[in-house]
Parts: sequence; C-alpha cells; structure tokens
Amino acid sequence: MKVFRTLTSLVLVFAAMTSSAFAAPKSIKVATDATWPPMEMVDANKQIVGYDIDFLNAVAKEAGVKVEFKNTAWDGIFAGLDSGQYDAIISSVTITEARKAKYDFSDAYTSIGQILVVPKTDKTSKTIADLKGKKVGSQIGTTGAMEVKKVAGVESKTYDEIGLAFEDMAAGRISGVVCDEPVAAHFALQKKEYKEKFKIVGKAFTKEGYGIVVKKGNQELVALLNKGIKAVKAKKLDTKIHTKWVK
Amino acid sequence: MLDTPSPHTPIAVGDGAAIPHKSDAGLFTAWRIAFFGSIVLCLFLAFGRPDQYMAIFMFIPDGILVTFKVTLGAILLAIVFGLIAGLGRISSNRLINGAASLYVEVIRGIPLLVQLFYIYYALGRFVKIPDILSAIIAMAFCYGAYMAEIFRAGIQSIPKGQMEAALSLGMSRGQAMRQVILPQAFKVVLPPIGNEFIALLKDSSLVSILAVADLLRRGREYASETFNYFETYTVIALIYLIMTLFFSKLISIMEERLNEGR
Repeated sequence: MKVFRTLTSLVLVFAAMTSSAFAAPKSIKVATDATWPPMEMVDANKQIVGYDIDFLNAVAKEAGVKVEFKNTAWDGIFAGLDSGQYDAIISSVTITEARKAKYDFSDAYTSIGQILVVPKTDKTSKTIADLKGKKVGSQIGTTGAMEVKKVAGVESKTYDEIGLAFEDMAAGRISGVVCDEPVAAHFALQKKEYKEKFKIVGKAFTKEGYGIVVKKGNQELVALLNKGIKAVKAKKLDTKIHTKWVK
Repeated sequence: MLDTPSPHTPIAVGDGAAIPHKSDAGLFTAWRIAFFGSIVLCLFLAFGRPDQYMAIFMFIPDGILVTFKVTLGAILLAIVFGLIAGLGRISSNRLINGAASLYVEVIRGIPLLVQLFYIYYALGRFVKIPDILSAIIAMAFCYGAYMAEIFRAGIQSIPKGQMEAALSLGMSRGQAMRQVILPQAFKVVLPPIGNEFIALLKDSSLVSILAVADLLRRGREYASETFNYFETYTVIALIYLIMTLFFSKLISIMEERLNEGR
C-alpha cells in the first residue's frame, strides 16, 4: 500500500507541476550571448549584465514572470531554441525577414544600425566599399556579417565573438570591423586598449530593430512579452536603461 | 594479419584492422562501406534533395581548400619542428637536450585549442603575418612536439651497431646520422606520421575558431544564416569522413609498399 501511496502522490505532484507549466509560464529560460557589450556581457562578478538583461528583467516584472538567463554561444543560439533548451533569446537579435520565416519575434524594443570601425591609421575609408581588396571582420551569422558579404570585392571574415575581431584588427590582420552601433562605441570609444587605435567612421548605414526571439508558434509567450514591452515603454523605463548602458 | 585464424593466433590490435588487407578480397569491408557509402550519400543529398543540400555543397568548396592548405602546411612544418626537437631529445649536449625536452613537455601539457588561441593572438602582438600562416604555425608548433617523440622513438629503434659501424668506417656522427640512421628511421616513423596526418586533418577544424575560413567555418557561416544546422553538419561530417578515409587508405598502401622493400 505504501508503494501505491507514494506513486499516487508522485503522480499528483507531477500533475500539479505540469498543469502550472501549461498555464501562463511562471518562469522562462532565456538565452543570451554575453559577448556583446554593452548590450549583454559578463561582468567582473561573473554575472550576466547589460542593456538587454535590464530590459528583459523590466519586461518580465511588468508581465509577471520570472526570467532565468543562460549564457549561450551566438553560433548555434537559434538551434538551441529549436531543440527547446530555452524559451526565448534576447541577444541584440535584429528582426529580419529570413529570421522571421523560421522564428517568432516580439515587437521591436530598440532600434540601431550597423557601423564601420577602422584603425586610426586609415585616413580615407568611410564605407565598407572603400575597403575593396581588404578583409573586413564581423561576428558570424550577424546582420553585420551579412552587410559585409553584400559588398563585392571585400573579403568577409567571421569571428565567433566580436571581441576577437577587434583583437585581430589590433594585430593588423583585418582592415575593418562591422557591428551594431552600441557595440562599436563600446570597443572603439570606451575600451582603453582600443581607444587610441580605432575610430568609428561615417554614420550607421542600416536601420534595424532588436526583438526577442521565441519558437515559431509560441504566440502565448509573444503576447506576454509584448504586453511587458508596452508597459515598460509606457513607463519610459527603456530610456532609463538606455542612458545607463549606452552613453 | 593471418588469414586463417588458429587457436594460437594472437589477436592483432591496431587501427589498421578496419582497412582491408591486400589478400582480403571481400567487397563489404568496413572501409569500403564507409567510404563509398558516404560518397553515395553525398551525391544522393546533392541531387536527390537539391533545394536543401545543393546550396551547402556550393558554399563550402573554398573551405575544403583551406582545410587542405592548413593540414599540408602544418604537417610539413611539424615534421621539421619534430625532427629538430627529436634529434635534440637524443642529443648528449645537455643544453640542447633540455631545451628540446622542455618544448615537448610544455606543448604536450597544453590543450591544442588553448595553444591555437594563444599562439595566434601572441603572434599578432609581435609580427604581422596572415591568418592562415599563423594558424599553420600554431598547429605545427603543437604537432611538432608529438612528432619529436615519434622521431626520437624511430631513431632509437635503429640498433646501436649501425651507428658504431658507421663511425668505425670513418664517418662523422652527423654523416652517420644523415646517411645511415635517418634513412632507416624514416621507414619506421612513416606509419605513425601518417596517423598524425589524419589526426591533424581532423584537428585542423579547430582553426575555424580563429576565423580561418576552413571547411567547418564555412559550414558554420552557412548554418548561422540559414538555420539549417542539421543539414549543414551532416554534409561537413561526410566530407571530413571521405577525406580521412581516403588518406588512411593512401597511407596503408604506402606502408605496404615500404614493407615489401624490407
């Protein structure tokens, strides 16, 4: 009898757990590639911090859910969503048509553009097209990499992390790096090893919106996130977070 | 290697077991199934499912070329490093011996991936050399340490009498090494060098982490934009498999030829 009782209680516990999971998700697992400062990065205390992290925490608070962040390498971050290792991605993901075909996005929560960073010794280059015959770096699978590949005659070099691209430019192996504006500003204007060496040229040449990615068809979570984003924007919390991380 | 197993035959263990012996006329050996199977599978995927797979096959050929370049460059350079360090390891000069031993011990104690990062970015600090060359140097530096041990063992496997005989004929030590010992040692070390070559071909995929556009990097670039991870890695795995099987066969044939000459 005792065995039977344990079993039934186990079944009850399991039923309770799953039913709560099927009702509005109380806690969501979110992947982020924390190598993209100041949007998402790991600080000195090994905590994942940044604009996106603060923003999603604010959204979650408004939407009434808990968020658990998971640091995941960018290359393969979408594949992890497919295999259900997490419920969403917030990692400076630009909403593009190709990505929308495979995944669902929340409303755009901020807008940015791609920008070019070159060594200070380069006095002439203003756009990627000026770097014909040279190598230009970017992070693999980002909109920056797609922009570089669009320009004929420029050799695209893709890195696992954007920091490695900047390090390779410091070593003189590549002539330019293309990435999101805030990230370019972080590396070229704030990081003291690079401040003397690099400069941002021209203005952002794309107009992109960041969105939170969820698995195709997960309308429930999209609705929940959009509700939270609306509330955060209404309270102007996003401008506060913006001034905190992006100077 | 005996064709008729008897109760007294010891079990032969080695990675050559899966490679058909010359006398083994069977059509379905593991090697043949794997090699021709993967070629057929590649063709089937490319032409049977062109909308998913053809684009992958079109995207990666330059990556295969880079993988070859890195592997070939690294193995040649590693042989040079290995020969120098291997000779150093058996040198009676304490300083040379110590330096060679230190190189082998240090390199063998650090993971290849860490070494690649380290050497690649360390080289970048001091000299301006292209990325592929840096990757080749980093790979060769690591494999040189393993090669050194192969060369040391190979040279030491030649009976002492050979050196003594050469010396008594009036040769200098260097002459004896070049003309008597090394040509014999070469036959001994060729099979293990072949194995290292296969291992290096596979490990060359690690240079993709340095943004060198090799086979794996090209695959990852393709997958990261199309999100066809499964399809892409299927193709990448098949191509590596075809390459390693092809070279392992080549090496086993070479080994046989050498044994015939004995």
